[in-house]
Amino acid sequence: MSIIIETKKLTKKFGDFVANSKIDIQVEKQEIKCIVGENGAGKSTLMNMLYGVYKPTSGMILLNGKEIVMNSPTDAIRNGIGMVHQHFKLVPSLTVYENILLGSEITKRGLIDRREEITKVKKLIEQYQFQIDPMEKIQNISVGLCQQVEILKMLYRNVDILILDEPTAVLTPQEVDRLMENLKALKKQGKTIIVITHKLREVMYVSDSVTVIKSGQVIGNVKTKDTNETELAQMMVGRDVVLTVRNESGPKPREEEAYRVEGICTVNDSNHEILHNVSLYVKKGEVLGIAGVEGNGQSELIKVLTGVMTVTKGKVLLGGKDMTNAWPDKLRKFGIGIIPEDRYAQGLCKEMTIPENCIAGYFDTHGVCNKGVLKSGKMKQLCDDYIQKYDIRVSDQYGVISQLSGGNAQKVIIAREFENNPDLIIACQPTRGVDIGSIEFIHRQLLALRNAGKAVLLISSELTEIMSLSDRIVVMYKGGIIGEVDPQAASAEEIGLLMAGAGAKGGN
Amino acid sequence: MGFITGILYDSVYHAIPILLCVLGGIFAYKANVLNIALEGMMLAGAFVSVLVSFKTENVMLGYIAAVVTCLAIGLIFAFFGVSCKGNVIVIGLAVNMSIVAIAGFVLQLMNSANIKLGFTNAADFKIHIPIIKNIPILGGIISGHTIITYITFVSIVLVWILMYRTKFGIYVRVVGENEDSAKSLGLNTNKYRYLAILLGSFFCALAGINLALERMTIFTNSMTAGRGFIAIAAIYCGRGDPLSCTFYALIFGLARALSVNLSLYAGAAAAVFDVIPYVVMSIVLTVVSVIKYRNSRVRGM
Amino acid sequence: MTKKKSDYIGPKVLNTLLPVGLAFLIGGIIILCIGENPLEAYRIMLGKSLFTAKGFLNTLHYASPLLLTGLAIAITFKANLFNMGVEGQLLVGGFFAGIAGASLDLTSPVMQKVVCMLVGIGCGVLFALIPALLRAFFHVDEMVVTLMLNYAMIKVLEYLSSGPFREAGSGYVCTPVIHESAMFQRLGIGNSRLTMFFFLAFAILLIMTFIFKKTKLGMEITAIGKNPDFAEATGMRVRRKIIILMCISGALAGLAGAGHMMSEKFKYTLGFSGTTGLGWDGMLIALLGRHNPIGVLLAAIFYSALKTGADNINMYTSVPKEIVGVLQGLIILFLAVQFLDERFGLRERFARRMSRKEEA
Repeated sequence: MSIIIETKKLTKKFGDFVANSKIDIQVEKQEIKCIVGENGAGKSTLMNMLYGVYKPTSGMILLNGKEIVMNSPTDAIRNGIGMVHQHFKLVPSLTVYENILLGSEITKRGLIDRREEITKVKKLIEQYQFQIDPMEKIQNISVGLCQQVEILKMLYRNVDILILDEPTAVLTPQEVDRLMENLKALKKQGKTIIVITHKLREVMYVSDSVTVIKSGQVIGNVKTKDTNETELAQMMVGRDVVLTVRNESGPKPREEEAYRVEGICTVNDSNHEILHNVSLYVKKGEVLGIAGVEGNGQSELIKVLTGVMTVTKGKVLLGGKDMTNAWPDKLRKFGIGIIPEDRYAQGLCKEMTIPENCIAGYFDTHGVCNKGVLKSGKMKQLCDDYIQKYDIRVSDQYGVISQLSGGNAQKVIIAREFENNPDLIIACQPTRGVDIGSIEFIHRQLLALRNAGKAVLLISSELTEIMSLSDRIVVMYKGGIIGEVDPQAASAEEIGLLMAGAGAKGGN
Repeated sequence: MGFITGILYDSVYHAIPILLCVLGGIFAYKANVLNIALEGMMLAGAFVSVLVSFKTENVMLGYIAAVVTCLAIGLIFAFFGVSCKGNVIVIGLAVNMSIVAIAGFVLQLMNSANIKLGFTNAADFKIHIPIIKNIPILGGIISGHTIITYITFVSIVLVWILMYRTKFGIYVRVVGENEDSAKSLGLNTNKYRYLAILLGSFFCALAGINLALERMTIFTNSMTAGRGFIAIAAIYCGRGDPLSCTFYALIFGLARALSVNLSLYAGAAAAVFDVIPYVVMSIVLTVVSVIKYRNSRVRGM
Repeated sequence: MTKKKSDYIGPKVLNTLLPVGLAFLIGGIIILCIGENPLEAYRIMLGKSLFTAKGFLNTLHYASPLLLTGLAIAITFKANLFNMGVEGQLLVGGFFAGIAGASLDLTSPVMQKVVCMLVGIGCGVLFALIPALLRAFFHVDEMVVTLMLNYAMIKVLEYLSSGPFREAGSGYVCTPVIHESAMFQRLGIGNSRLTMFFFLAFAILLIMTFIFKKTKLGMEITAIGKNPDFAEATGMRVRRKIIILMCISGALAGLAGAGHMMSEKFKYTLGFSGTTGLGWDGMLIALLGRHNPIGVLLAAIFYSALKTGADNINMYTSVPKEIVGVLQGLIILFLAVQFLDERFGLRERFARRMSRKEEA
């Protein structure tokens, strides 16, 4: 097999920060190449260079043995390189066919020839055996179909090399399967495919060869058939990834119920019900995990439980007190600590200082605020305490939040929410985008809270996290609870089946 | 009957400047540039068209000068807002204020409170369409408007085609809706923003000409009286769709016509009727918003 | 990432001074074009109003309402709200303070003044409440509503002052003159026009500084301006705060109107708030002062000097005093752009505002 694209000593610096350092990779024609690495390892930077988004600081890219210089994605497409981004670049108000042809519209006398456009797109869809209606508007179709549109967009432009950035992050298991089949079919039709991912199971299933990247450097190149998941994982993180914290040795949950959600429903802006009769309870000294593929109603459930969205039906009780539709400040006052889903959207204000962020939502405790007047001395003292106790690494302790790394920023939230004596913690994706050291720390903190008799509601799309921390697991599917499992007894496969909607009962 | 025909004729008459602003403004709206300089550009169109006509005694030159001036202002707006990435709301207000001030400055130099054309009058601009003008009622409503009025109605269709059936229209919408997407296609997003803004300037020039030169052959400062802002309200209500925005602009025309016609009977309280259009547009804006968010269960801004 | 605050002051000051310089440059060219000497014109404009004792005190006097309108706009800008209705709120506040001052006759002059100011504040608040409630409960864009309601209010006041409340004996449209007990008397310092109103406005500036920097509300305003999702999720009740902020803004504008009535105009005329409008001037002052109370103070004094100087320019040269309006427009235009990179400029805030629009 001949090498279609390769890089030689490709380096990219952003200021002092070296994102990619002397990367050498070779991709053979008609293979599926996986590039794996942890978050922040430099995979996306590499791909953006291959797609002409970033210009390399040094080094070169060879296509069929000849050096190419690309100044923009347009250049990349002209060279036959196409990319499907993790965040789709589609226009929601336009139709599927309009999106596919965006930038290469077919016109007749200056006006767009819709009939011709639709025919062409239909042909394209048939040729690659995709299943999608060209007339549908993007805003009305599922994420999986959006991805198909992105791929079709590239295929229409006759690319030979297709780069996919984290393609499975937002897909349901079935959609993942379909994607994998599509990719294999494309390979048969002569395309070369590069997939960036950190999901090793998929790597093993679909790829021919794997390149592992860590801290901006190539750690290893292997043929998929010569390796296994454990080996790849070790290469990725440089140590065993077995999660070190497990919910095993602590006391049993008490019988007393701390939190109860009864049959809540809510609707989205177009009045479609997006939560169907969700009921659950958490006992004192218990971790209840909510598992599910992203986009199955978890975000809405989180919004409702954290007070930023209201319910149409149902009740929420905290130790018997009615908390239905309570505002976030009341929730906190009554002892619900919240680790929000997106820390820079709801949890922290990047442009405000650490002391300010440390008191956000808790003006009435620790004496930081007296009759509406802030006590800056007390605020700083509290901030110092948190930094010390939670080992938050800062360069300027009273400076703005944006100086902190993801893990340390998350620790600020954890400190704030844990130090206000909550009876219940709602922890949403608590370790997303957080380094391994901090993950371990956060997990320990959550379990310590549990062992102290508090209730923890853990919502995460990382199944391993849910399985190692929870006392009980409920699975969400299409806006409802589809089942409950015991993490000791059930296997990841069983939960996976539930997450895919198999054996739907009870739910909707 | 005459009363109703009068109101409908007036509705068209009063809707035209707004409608032109709306047609111009929707492209900027779709390109995600909030152009509140519509007001100032319209005033500039009004000012320059009358001033140049006054100086040269040539109406055609007035038309051309107004268009050129507004395009120049559009370029300045686009340069600061798009190329320099300034805050377009602030820039828009600055444009509005500058133009009022410049017009005032010139009026002061001329030692006059207004500019009035002596060689022509408003009646000269009215076009009475043969045949149609003789149709009862309809003739009274449709016939007897100025050239720009008829251009406006044709423009509604042209703008619709431009927005939905040409590459330009699609790209403007892409730029506004998903800039990343536009960039990944290699579109020059700034180019489309510039063009969208300049289209707006062009239509605002026509609006100004219609308002001052064609209808009254007179310019007084601040004569636009917030019509540009009402146009923005209409654009918001119609979410940038040419046809629905047209509909809201016509509502304004009707409100204005009602207020003018009713005030004839109101005597001393006549001035209060001037409030109607602004209040009506605020209510319409509210109703549209209430409908849009009626199902929203998310708290916050 | 470890830069200290002082590292940002340099560009900040430059970003403020550069627009002023550029505007004066272009203004100078305009003045040259009409055959006058720009340097001479500027000297007349600023020399007396800034560098003579009496002139400066008069400048302070005229800066009083500007301080308040500047604050009224700054407080909403900081929370990323666009209250463009300050002009209308000022007019309605001034008008009814004037009516109260003329029709009430309380024995105590202090009470008379207090009541008049309260009427002004109340009217400003009520008028600001309309867009505030529409925004908070129905997501109606406050900017468009306030822009339109300004015109509505001008029309209403035009009717009231030429109809029901017209002073019968006057040859032009105006309301009756307020009683002397409602007037802020000149303090007579350096023979200037300075009244207590300036000190009142200054005290309010200090209070607002305290609120901005030291209180929970101040922190919440900042949070709402920088990240409304965060503000809502941490229980800051954004909706309620929007209403409170708009009310404070309306109150400041209403008080500015009342004070202007009681210290300068004494009756409502159609040109009550001057050519560019004290509310619109407030916009320039808020921007020039970078939404910061000290900045607002300096900007208000500077702009007031410019405006009072404009009257002199008319006297000694043939340059129309509308040149100030031109300068004002130009300064705002240049202020909208960041010449030098600064942290957390309007740019990001604006980007966020637009992205919010987009989602909606």
